[in-house]
Amino acid sequence: MSAAIKLLGHIGAVTRLSGRTFKIVFSRRFVDRSLLSAQMDQAGIGSWSIAVLTALFTGAVMAIQFADGLEPYGASLYTGKMVSLGIVRELGPTLTAVLVGGRVGAGFTAEIGSMNVTEQVDAISALGADPIEKLVAPRVLACIIMLPLLTLLADFVGCFGAMLVVMTDVGVTATFFIEQVLETLVVADLLHGLAKATFFGYFIAIVGCYVGLNTRGGTEGVGRSTTDTVVAISITVLVSNFLLTKLFLSF
Amino acid sequence: MRRGETLTVIGGSGKGKSVLLKMLIRLLQVDSGSITCFGEEVTTMPEPKLLGLRRRIAMLFQGAALFDSLTVAQNIKYPLVEHKWGNREQMDQRVEEVLEMVGMPGIQNLKPSELSGGMKKRVGLARAIAIQPDVILYDEPTTGLDPLNVRRINGLILRLQRRLNVTSVVVTHDMDSCFTITDRIAFLYDRRMDWTGTKEEALATDFAPLREFVQGGRGTLESDGTEDG
Repeated sequence: MSAAIKLLGHIGAVTRLSGRTFKIVFSRRFVDRSLLSAQMDQAGIGSWSIAVLTALFTGAVMAIQFADGLEPYGASLYTGKMVSLGIVRELGPTLTAVLVGGRVGAGFTAEIGSMNVTEQVDAISALGADPIEKLVAPRVLACIIMLPLLTLLADFVGCFGAMLVVMTDVGVTATFFIEQVLETLVVADLLHGLAKATFFGYFIAIVGCYVGLNTRGGTEGVGRSTTDTVVAISITVLVSNFLLTKLFLSF
Repeated sequence: MRRGETLTVIGGSGKGKSVLLKMLIRLLQVDSGSITCFGEEVTTMPEPKLLGLRRRIAMLFQGAALFDSLTVAQNIKYPLVEHKWGNREQMDQRVEEVLEMVGMPGIQNLKPSELSGGMKKRVGLARAIAIQPDVILYDEPTTGLDPLNVRRINGLILRLQRRLNVTSVVVTHDMDSCFTITDRIAFLYDRRMDWTGTKEEALATDFAPLREFVQGGRGTLESDGTEDG
């Protein structure tokens, strides 16, 4: 019972933090482009390699499994259709969010948490600035912008990995594979994935920042908070993925 | 408080001295009660007014709280930029001035990680006085420093008070520091601040908890309970 009340308390606090953040993002106060571009670089550009590697091998493994499973029915030629749909709708956004979220969210928590325990967050307020404007808003906006871009990259690379496997194992040509993919996918599939990625970007940043701002207990507390963030982001992404999928498919 | 005076708040560890300082500029919100600064209620002050209050009251944090990612110059310019204090040249000049004042000229391009504890405190103090505040809050300014640096910081606090006529509130449990810099002492005991008075009154007090605190802090070890060997 007390755990449920605690969880509700956290959800309420994250909602309040989100409200204050979006008020800044959509107001004229948010003008510090240098903070935003630094965060876009750190969160987005710095995460491209992890997104590409994950997508490449996930696409390849999915292709191996589907080709093997469809072979008894003589349908392994159509592996590209199945794999591309799975990657673009689900695995691209979700895997990218979980892996990039772990990296980026933990980084946010460690950085802001360290600032918090060394009173640097208090110093921002004492010197006449708003910590949410300086620390939270640029990170949230950067993740909302960069996660869909990373997901788009992961979609392409995942399909490319699958194509390499299908070409070597099943023996189809690249042109045939691409035709299959283009026949199967519609724009809505891509948009569903990218819309999910936008929400995931917001969740990653807001959870990472919230846990950082509430870090107590010195360096030990920073370590504990960082672990909590990775767990919280993974759960948030997976649970919200279910709800968002239901929501988007109902339209 | 009277303008230009130095009030030192003393009391045991964990009694709420730092919390008290943070509540004065609403870095922490009170659960109940009221705080008045410059005739205005702080606890219910709207954000723009609070910004104005923080322009007039600066704070030196216990560990200096310098921003790790910024250079010394950028740290000192931070409040100047936030409060839109002059143009770039004026800010550079001000950085130079305050670094001279704290006895550390020419370190503008160093990062906080390259500074010792005492240097960090002095840069923190330079950042606090950059915006020319009326009041400076010092949270344990001499804790963790060697005797030479303690003397330097005490000297700086005294010089700033004399040169700039700033009002100072110092939280400390370093009694030697306290008796060097203070005009008045406030004793925080059992969550109340019932005792305030001058240095002389503190030395002559018959209020037992304060007497023990003052004697203990000034090196009288009559009954500290420790034994040699």
